[in-house]
Amino acid sequence: MIDVATRQSKLSFQLKRFLAFLKILVSKKNSALGVGLIGFFLFLAAAAPLITPYNALGVDPTAPLFPLSAPSKAPTWLRVLPGWLGGNPTLSENMLVVNNPMAPTLAKDGGEWNFEKAGDSVSDPYLVADVGIPEGYSPPGFTVGAKEGSLAVKFSRASGTSFQNSSKIRLYVEFDYPYLGPTGRFVGNIALLVRGSSYTNLTSKFANGTLTYVETKHLYAPVVVRVFIGQVDGKEWKLWPNPEIDAVTGAKMGVGQVNSPLGFAKDPVTNQPWGINRPESGVLVPGGWVISRGSAATKGGHIDSESNNLVNPFTEFGAQSIPDRIVFTKPGGYIYGVEITFLDQMDNTRDVETTVFIDDFGLFLFGTSFGLLGTDHQGRDLFSQLIYGTRISLYIGISVAVASVFIGLAVGLAAGYLGRIVDELLMRVSDLLLVLPGLPLLVVLMAVLGPSLENLMILLALLGWMGFARMVRAQVLSIKERPFVEAAKAVGAGRFHIIINHILPSVMSLVYISLATAVPGAVTAEAALSWLGFYDPDRMSWGRMLNGVFEGQAITNWWWIIPPGLFISLLAVSFILLGYALDEVLNPKLRMRK
Amino acid sequence: MGLRSFIVKRLIYSFVLVLLIILLNFAIFKAMPGDPVAFLMTPWSKETPEARRAQEEHLRSLWGFNEPFEVQLAKYIRNLLSFQLGIEFMSRRPIADIMAGKIPYTLLLLGGSTIISIIVGILWGLVVIQKRGGLFDSSSVMGSLVVGSLPTFWIGLILLLFFYSTLRWFPNAGAFPRDWAGNWPVVLTSSGSSSPSALNVIFSINFQGFLTLIGGYLWHLTLPLFTLTIFSVGGWLLLTRATMLETITEDYVVTARAKGLRERTVLFKHALKNASLPIITSAALSFGFILTGAIITETVFTYPGLGNWTWISIQFLDYQVLMAVFYIISLCVIVANIVADLLYGIIDPRIKYG
Repeated sequence: MIDVATRQSKLSFQLKRFLAFLKILVSKKNSALGVGLIGFFLFLAAAAPLITPYNALGVDPTAPLFPLSAPSKAPTWLRVLPGWLGGNPTLSENMLVVNNPMAPTLAKDGGEWNFEKAGDSVSDPYLVADVGIPEGYSPPGFTVGAKEGSLAVKFSRASGTSFQNSSKIRLYVEFDYPYLGPTGRFVGNIALLVRGSSYTNLTSKFANGTLTYVETKHLYAPVVVRVFIGQVDGKEWKLWPNPEIDAVTGAKMGVGQVNSPLGFAKDPVTNQPWGINRPESGVLVPGGWVISRGSAATKGGHIDSESNNLVNPFTEFGAQSIPDRIVFTKPGGYIYGVEITFLDQMDNTRDVETTVFIDDFGLFLFGTSFGLLGTDHQGRDLFSQLIYGTRISLYIGISVAVASVFIGLAVGLAAGYLGRIVDELLMRVSDLLLVLPGLPLLVVLMAVLGPSLENLMILLALLGWMGFARMVRAQVLSIKERPFVEAAKAVGAGRFHIIINHILPSVMSLVYISLATAVPGAVTAEAALSWLGFYDPDRMSWGRMLNGVFEGQAITNWWWIIPPGLFISLLAVSFILLGYALDEVLNPKLRMRK
Repeated sequence: MGLRSFIVKRLIYSFVLVLLIILLNFAIFKAMPGDPVAFLMTPWSKETPEARRAQEEHLRSLWGFNEPFEVQLAKYIRNLLSFQLGIEFMSRRPIADIMAGKIPYTLLLLGGSTIISIIVGILWGLVVIQKRGGLFDSSSVMGSLVVGSLPTFWIGLILLLFFYSTLRWFPNAGAFPRDWAGNWPVVLTSSGSSSPSALNVIFSINFQGFLTLIGGYLWHLTLPLFTLTIFSVGGWLLLTRATMLETITEDYVVTARAKGLRERTVLFKHALKNASLPIITSAALSFGFILTGAIITETVFTYPGLGNWTWISIQFLDYQVLMAVFYIISLCVIVANIVADLLYGIIDPRIKYG
């Protein structure tokens, strides 16, 4: 029976040969190191989504608008490192104070909010399932949910009874702050809706020579809102709303006084007047909410230790900014909450009722340390940038190597075998390109073409083939005079056939070696250009990470500087070692020299 | 072919290369998006549309944008050959003037590091070749490979981190102390009559001021120089080692050994002489790339040479400056190539030109 080589047996033969080859490579110390390192980087590139929960830019994909941490922060393990190694025990970590702000529940129902009240006219807080923030942006750790309900506080007084002016309720959460140092920054939110019995006022307005009357709505029992933070049994600071100075008297006005539905339309659902006239950043959103929260970008109604909303109140205490350091002075119990005071002094001849709905009431503490490698100048996770950066470097290194080796092979074969005018022309072009200074040319071309990874890859491939083409040409020149080529010619084989079947196999060892040795150049070139600022704005590479060191002026953050450079050089070295090993395996002459 | 005709041939070939580079520059300039006249117009003038149009026409004819393509090209070639490189966008000063002020710094930095790394690298390579096969050899080779594959800017960052941020030994930016501006150390002092005329004033060198001046420059030069030297010294080590390894297997070295000569004599008298050829030409070539290597290191240390200027121009997207720098650097490389070719012929009598 004739033994026909099936596809399967061919494949298994190839596999066996490849494994044998790999065995030779791994049997030597240096080449084993190179192959091992390449394997390590391939693993990192493939397993990046499993290794890190964040995306390639170091941002949480579920909340891309919000930073993961305060900018340029240290890694968390610095907290336990001894001081002489650069450790810092006063670093703090990210901390979610309110677990589920979108669906607030009371402590007595197993939730997190406690309350204290003064006066019988105020109801206990109760859950209202069908009123709540419908959707929107939310900070990290804050779950974005649909209408999950809100907590409501109702003030009511029957007609003819006496004023209940000092009625007050405090809704708060107590938490334990375990860190020795202050937070990096803290961000809180509150959303309020006020509804109640109201009256209409006419105010006159004289403008442009005409007198007009403006109809304004006022609550019979307006409310004062005060969001506070502080140590348990210690000092409390008002976070929101910020104090305003009366222009006439210079006195601090009653802040956060939600005293009338001034200027706002009627509630579209109940057709009742509603609203908060202060803070001015309160906005109308679909569904009838007057919302006190804003975005980190607009800072309106948004409680942020870095925003003016907080800086202003703290000047009151003689502290210039940095509220984190004033509030979080020591580890221990802290309190965060809202105090609502009902001002009932308008009319006691009628039934008065005001309801305040509270939703999205949360607090998030950004630590001064984050993750395994800290954060960059935009609060993004450096560790995931480093891991995902492997992909970019491998992608650009291998693609450029393949492309430039392919061009070099084609040029070398053509120049070597065809000779004459083709040879002369191709070699003069390669001379020209060899003389051109690489980096300045890349800089000029990238400035003109625009920074994109693919542009850079094309340029690197077009500028990187010359050396290899010369090697191939020299090899081809020596091979094409050999008898077996003559024989093929005599049989009548075409040029193309001879090049592919007789000459190409003899230069393949050069191809493999050059594939390995072309990678490091491309990797470092990408890093250098990214570092100069020609980075692809959509992708985070190791070079761009290092660019951020200068952008963020963080030259002292060694945990930021060392890893990307180390990875660049490890990747480069691994391919150099592989190239050397291939050279030794495929070039038997070299083995004799030692 | 004799030496003279070889030189003539090289010169003609190099001139063609220069023309090709100018053509490349011109092509890039033409391919760029945007109208250069708009770039030249004064954007803040509040003139009527007619006046602006007139200004535009004026500029167009002034700068020759209304002329036919080939005239523009001819003028471009003529200007670049006579080093009229255009004007810088920010300062509106001629690029050639600014460049003349930047090049000395780059020459100081790159020239210094090239010379140091060549000397150290070759000496190290010679030490390594004497102890080849040992631990010192393999660790030197491995170290050179690793350091050579590091990104230059990263070496600079690490040096800054250590010597500037942590130890505060060296400054992080500039070519001389910042407080010198307007208050330079006095090097020449003049003494003589109170109404100085050129004749009766005696100049004397103030040695302390002189030392302060030199010291200040060196102090700022150290870190960037060190960065570049670390980066390139390994290459010279590897080159020396490789060429020496190549020659010590040659027959005449075996003969020298067979004669019973000492190993040192064999290496330095017989092998090194022949191995030195590629090293010397590489050194000549490397001087051509002196202006090239500066972009990254100068940017890390804000050293006020060509490279840092290039980086600043990148920030303002000043293509004129980028292309002028590219042109000048290419010229340097071409000149260095000619020098290397000639040098090769002069030091190696076996070379026949042709």
